[in-house]
Amino acid sequence: MADAGRLPEGRLPPGPTCRVDFSRPLAFTFLGRPMTGFAGDTVASALYAAGVRVFSRSLKYHRPRGLYSMDGESSNTFMAIDGVPNECAETTALRAGMSVAAQNVRGDPRTDRFAFIDRFDRLMPAGFYYRLFHRPYRLWPLFQNGLRRMAGTGVLDPRRNYHRDGVRAERHLNAEVAVVGGGAAGMSAALAAAESGLRVCLFERRPWLGGHLAWRVRDFEGEPLHHRAGALAARVRATGNVRVFTSSPVTGVWGDNLVTGFTIGARDDPFRECHWECRAGTVVVASGCMDRPLVFNHNDRPGVMQAGTAWRLARMYAVRPGGAAVFSVGDDMSLEAAVDLADLGVEVRGVADAREAGRQDPGLVASLAERDIPVLSGWAASRAMGRRRVKACELRPLRGGGSRRFRCDLLVANGGMQPRIGVLATVKAKLAYCADTHSYQPEELPEGVFVAGSMTGLRDPRSIEASGRLAGHRAAVSCRGGAATTAVDAASAVRRDAGSAADGLPGPVSGCDIRHGPALGRGAKAFVDLDEDGTYKNVVESAAQGFDVPELAKRFGGFGLGPGQYRVTGQNLAMIMADLRGDPVETATPTTVRPPLVPPSLATLAGPGHDVHKRTPLHGELAGWGAVFRRAGEWERARYFSEDHSCRDEILNVRRNVGILDSSPLGKFRIHGPDALKALQRVYVSDMREARPGRCKYSAMCNDMGQLVDDGLVVGEGDHDYYFTTSSGRAGSTVEWFRYHTRHDGWDYNLVNLTDVLGSVNVAGPNARRVLERVTTDDVSNEAFPYLGCRHITVGDGVGARCLRLGFVGELSFELHVPSSYCRYVWALLVEAGADFGIQPFGLEAQYCLRAEKGHVIIGAESEARVTLTDIGMGWLWDREDTVSKKVGAPALRACENQPGRMKLVGFRVDERSGSLRDGAVVVGRAERGVGGMAGDGEIAGYVCTTRRSDVLGWQYGMALVHEGVAVHGGRLLIRQEELPGRPESCTATVVPPPFYDPEGTKLRS
Amino acid sequence: MTFRLTCPVCGKRDVYEFTFGGQERGPRPAQEGLSAEEHFRWVQFRLIPGGCETREEGASRADVREPLQEEWWYHGQGCGVWFTTTRDPMTNREVEGGGGG
Ligand SMILES: [Zn+2]
Repeated sequence: MADAGRLPEGRLPPGPTCRVDFSRPLAFTFLGRPMTGFAGDTVASALYAAGVRVFSRSLKYHRPRGLYSMDGESSNTFMAIDGVPNECAETTALRAGMSVAAQNVRGDPRTDRFAFIDRFDRLMPAGFYYRLFHRPYRLWPLFQNGLRRMAGTGVLDPRRNYHRDGVRAERHLNAEVAVVGGGAAGMSAALAAAESGLRVCLFERRPWLGGHLAWRVRDFEGEPLHHRAGALAARVRATGNVRVFTSSPVTGVWGDNLVTGFTIGARDDPFRECHWECRAGTVVVASGCMDRPLVFNHNDRPGVMQAGTAWRLARMYAVRPGGAAVFSVGDDMSLEAAVDLADLGVEVRGVADAREAGRQDPGLVASLAERDIPVLSGWAASRAMGRRRVKACELRPLRGGGSRRFRCDLLVANGGMQPRIGVLATVKAKLAYCADTHSYQPEELPEGVFVAGSMTGLRDPRSIEASGRLAGHRAAVSCRGGAATTAVDAASAVRRDAGSAADGLPGPVSGCDIRHGPALGRGAKAFVDLDEDGTYKNVVESAAQGFDVPELAKRFGGFGLGPGQYRVTGQNLAMIMADLRGDPVETATPTTVRPPLVPPSLATLAGPGHDVHKRTPLHGELAGWGAVFRRAGEWERARYFSEDHSCRDEILNVRRNVGILDSSPLGKFRIHGPDALKALQRVYVSDMREARPGRCKYSAMCNDMGQLVDDGLVVGEGDHDYYFTTSSGRAGSTVEWFRYHTRHDGWDYNLVNLTDVLGSVNVAGPNARRVLERVTTDDVSNEAFPYLGCRHITVGDGVGARCLRLGFVGELSFELHVPSSYCRYVWALLVEAGADFGIQPFGLEAQYCLRAEKGHVIIGAESEARVTLTDIGMGWLWDREDTVSKKVGAPALRACENQPGRMKLVGFRVDERSGSLRDGAVVVGRAERGVGGMAGDGEIAGYVCTTRRSDVLGWQYGMALVHEGVAVHGGRLLIRQEELPGRPESCTATVVPPPFYDPEGTKLRS
Repeated sequence: MTFRLTCPVCGKRDVYEFTFGGQERGPRPAQEGLSAEEHFRWVQFRLIPGGCETREEGASRADVREPLQEEWWYHGQGCGVWFTTTRDPMTNREVEGGGGG
């Protein structure tokens, strides 16, 4: 692109601090127009170089907005990049082939169709949404749609999967000392802390280290400032125990010094964004300072920007920020920028400094004078002129007097510098207005948090570095990870550095307390908040309505609600509010800073999205049978074996022949030890002495409210030794539950979780015994092995299996528990043996229906927080005579059993054929014949837990939780279900007691 | 909210590894003669550090605040032990040597 000696359009000759490589052009498009930037550019710097000045339109008034900051301080440069909305062009590195579009505009931001709204500002006072559009209520949707169309922030494409765009990673870091900010102070702190041998993590949001020294070329102690930054960075990078993370904004610092943030991947990183959390012993906050915006009329015009922005455009991106510039500032660093830009060929026509004469750095004032740049002390900008971009500006003395007008295309404006307090706010440091520096400073810091650098008001590079070293040493001493000797070393270093810090180095500068520009008038176009279009006039309105503290104004006028948060608005709003109330400025504090301080994408927060789940040992076998797998808790389980999700054939085959089920996720445990029975008696509601060898005891666990939490079988294995099962979902918390409810007792027992060690295969159906007889020589006859028995049998070539005779699905059924590694062998054996008897696998849905036909309850399906064990008809399990075991739930069961007005679980039979009745339908009371058909009594009486149409029964059955008033056998329920909004269906059902299938239980005992 | 806890077996670990087991409120009361009221008081009622219940007329919040709370925690992502620790719920910090139970 660039021939030697010929600069690309809009660019300056690259200087020593330039980060852009003119030899590597990158082609991209803006609104479909082809453009060229260079490696090292951000999207914003490339657009600015290409002559783009209007980047977006503002949220409310559709005013043109331009490049104001370079660190994403406002939503001015939020754009849609490659179809992803709200990407910040200031901080997004330019890549080849990017497609960039403006948002919140119709077409080009230079000529937005909604720009006329700006003229109606008087119709939109602060809080106008709340005050104007709430009446009449029914018109709100109309207003809402209109406002949404006009006041948008980007458009999402619902067909696109944003999550899959690039790899999102996650890291968990550990460090004794974490340093936030990679400027001179942060680097000095990291080096000082690292001297004690501690592990240090240094986080810098920008792609390079150095802070503001990285672009400053002014000579200091015989060398340019950026050399000083470079030397520090080289030392940091060469220190083994300092890990440096650049392009890594911190999103907050939390309790116990957990630092969170994310890293934006460079070209050769294996991720696009990586979320990280760093658990640090101590934290040094050196997040620096930024321009405090100057509030004056039309201060949002494209061409008005921070001093740092103009300076960095020129020095880091070799972009000409403007042809003719005017400065209205309040800080020496901005004066230095004016000198530097003048040296780079920008015509600086005037510098207004809000500070009185004599408070500026005399060297810089002399430098400006040498360049014939007029300096107006005690002056500030009163207004920017130009419709779409700055064409001129007006400066006035703050104490009153005549104005001077300058033609310019760049207006650098600030009210001095303000510290970046975001990190301190998240860590709950107490902030207070400091009258010396005219900024908010930490009054009290939480344990293990230290501050350093320019955010404390220091400007001299030596002072900044000394404050960093001091904070680094203090952090090392305070860190508990430091060994005693290193703490002593570090403590002496603190004394040494504290001595040298006091050794004649300049302290904090006094700062600038300007509230707003002169001749503000109503301030209808003087913006305090760029994101939400909050003007000075809106602040006045807010205060007049009684919302006269920043936190209230935030709610009323939206100040500081937008992406910029406190950064643009915070300090100005607090100071202006205090003035409006007539209170001293010390009484106001900025609004709470909301994390994340820098927004990561939601996809990054969602993480890599690993689907962590367990598969049973029989997964492959089931897949071979065409199983359709679904997640059930942490397991991937076979739900269906055909596309018929009613599972008609699977159900009928269990009822008529024999089915085989992989029930491996069942919780399986061993409990042994002298106090094992005591523990069982505590957590199970039944008398667990009945769990003897060879005999399964079915029981349930309740919580202290008497609600069912688990059910299963317990079988004796020997002295003080039991084997028991839990539901699949409870396997993970069973040990926790036992230990919790025996925590005061000091009982001696051991629990072993065998859930993953053992697999289980269930054979159920009238032919189940015949299948089992073919694989074992043990006696499995009804006499030798009755219902609810448990036997150790040998199957096939000598595989020992614990065999339990159960009845969950309502048929003759054997469940074989075998070591997981033998599962496939046993499965194959049973399938082969069952071929003559029509054996077929069945899945979770078939099992769900089979047990529901039998009226067996599944926790969470037919039980919930409002019902006790008794309410769902399982009260017979509770051993009410036992008062010594202190059974969990027993007092609640006793208290609730005769309580009126409880919900009860009932079975029902749907009266007419109603294929569409589904789980979750609402029971609206007892059905009574009235005029025009059946009607309920109008009260919601409960809901349908499970309902299915049964081919075996020939009718639709179900279970419902209903108020006891309608839970009358033979009574009729009116059930309604909304298929489509406004078109409810209803049907009636008769209450019948479960089980619906084989009520006498002869099948499972056969 | 995030902080660290001291497991008596494993040492200082992230709170994400633990499950909260509520305040220490004494052993399960004997069932004989236990009224429903007493039982629910044991199950549901909590002492609120600095809470208003114990606040006397004219006393400021700081005067009546008993800042520390003895709590049960379960190291589920670690060794699987239930233990008690003493913490200040206002700052989420453990009292030094709190993880001894
Ligand atoms: Zn542990």
